[in-house]
Amino acid sequence: MASKFDSPVDVDADAAGLPGLAHMAIVLGTALLVLMLGNAHALAAWADGLEPSARSAQIAVFAHGVADQTAALGLDGPRAALKSRWDNAKRLRWDDQAVADAPHDIGTQLGEPISAQR
Amino acid sequence: MLFPTLDFAIFFLPVLILVWTAGQASNEWRKIILLLASWVFYGVWDWRFVALLIASAAINWSIAARIDARLARDQAAQPWLAIGVAANLAILGWFKYYGFFVTEVAGVLAGLGWSRDLPVIEVILPVGISFFTFQGMSYLIDVARRDTRPATFLDLTLLMSFFPHLVAGPIVRASHLVPQFASKPRLTRGMVASAIILIIWGLFKKTVVASELSVALVDKVFFDPSAQTGLDLLAGAYGYAVQIYCDFSAYSDMAVGLAALLGYRFPRNFLSPYRAASLQDFWRRWHISLSNWLRDYLYISLGGSRGSIWFLCRNLMITMLLGGLWHGAKWTFLIWGALHGGVLAMERLWRQWRPAGWPTLPAPLAVLMIFHIVVVGWIFFRADTLAGALDYFVQLWAFRPGVALASPLLVGLIGVGMAIHFTPPNLLPAMARRVATWPAPVLGLAAAGAVLLIDAMRFEGVAAFIYYQF
Repeated sequence: MASKFDSPVDVDADAAGLPGLAHMAIVLGTALLVLMLGNAHALAAWADGLEPSARSAQIAVFAHGVADQTAALGLDGPRAALKSRWDNAKRLRWDDQAVADAPHDIGTQLGEPISAQR
Repeated sequence: MLFPTLDFAIFFLPVLILVWTAGQASNEWRKIILLLASWVFYGVWDWRFVALLIASAAINWSIAARIDARLARDQAAQPWLAIGVAANLAILGWFKYYGFFVTEVAGVLAGLGWSRDLPVIEVILPVGISFFTFQGMSYLIDVARRDTRPATFLDLTLLMSFFPHLVAGPIVRASHLVPQFASKPRLTRGMVASAIILIIWGLFKKTVVASELSVALVDKVFFDPSAQTGLDLLAGAYGYAVQIYCDFSAYSDMAVGLAALLGYRFPRNFLSPYRAASLQDFWRRWHISLSNWLRDYLYISLGGSRGSIWFLCRNLMITMLLGGLWHGAKWTFLIWGALHGGVLAMERLWRQWRPAGWPTLPAPLAVLMIFHIVVVGWIFFRADTLAGALDYFVQLWAFRPGVALASPLLVGLIGVGMAIHFTPPNLLPAMARRVATWPAPVLGLAAAGAVLLIDAMRFEGVAAFIYYQF
């Protein structure tokens, strides 16, 4: 009685090579390793957000240790460079937008028409 | 626990390992592991909600058993079906509509000069309640229609609790998933490749496009439309159309991808909705699992198109009004539903009575027109109040000059969100077929590179998905 339905994961892929499970294990293992080395600061930031306790302090020390070591090796460089470029793109403004830039900090401008702010 | 967070990754990886190791011993153990993991996932919001989920599954399971027993004796399923549907609606009504009902009744009584203090109880809305109650109702109706066999208690509880779809869909039916629970699933390289692409693609749409648009543009323009320029309001309206698509479709993509890594197939939930050339076409592409649900269990139950054209229009209107209310107890959702129902009805009337020989609208113009009708609907959908929505239109009409919020990057992200809709429909399967042939370490490296790129671009922090509130 199973109904047939369309799923985005219905892909007739080449059956050659490793079976699906082993394939997934290696894919995820490799990705995790690369992310641990190239984005260790994310782990450190996550550890900083944990509820304070003796265990979370240990986790934070370990996470920051990994982040410092990978940074010393320059492994965080690619992500930092990408982030810097993206932040530059965020700061781009239209030629006639400069005077109206202030409302980005809308928390201090609420209720006041933009024309009045200029 | 949100999908695009480290918290979720730390939860998901051990579950994945357990399911594919300890879970291989027996299919029942596999399902028990998934069920316990789903309860942990849901319990992170509030452990009391887990009890509600189990109670809901128990009610639906026991009523389905009674329906099946009556059918076996050639008796009508209706009495128990009515009780089951009413029980699901009562759960939904209590948690979702009680506050709205009390407030509106109090307003009416005050208007009649008969003010009364009605009992106001602060009801906490359980995350994703609309999804699992609809799932329960469709299960009962399917059993009554003999479209599906009654499931075991374990299968039904897992169907309703399964964490990839639990809080924001897709609305996976018993006929989709229960047959897959019957045996241990097999993972293919094609599934792995599709899953990795869907998860990364969802991560990009949610954390880069939707979050940036939400925080830097949409939230600000909708908070106080009177403080914005015309161009910013226009960008805000288009921005919300892109935000809600990228937010919700990202959840669906990640849900489908995560389920695939666990070995299960979920149905498609989005198919380039903004390239629809009619509103009927839009609803075949947007939140497909909900629109199919409304069609199969509400529109058809109302009589569907079995009657005059006016009967059909009435059914469309009722279906869309209730579809609007499904999103929440607010007048803005009701108006959103009325707009969609009205335009769907007009499309039918036009198809019936279009004067012979009149030219049809060129497809690009039709797409543009439907997109703008949808955008008008989204303004009601997004506004916190009806007054807020109306003010948005008034301020848009006034079109104050200048631009303050809509930076080149935000306009670019709106462009990206729209361009996604016009990529070839077979792009994902074609990519997945190619990626599936890559050696596993290469795919792992590429996935990590993509995640690094997304992490560098993403907005700090992750907001909850829009559809979590429904």
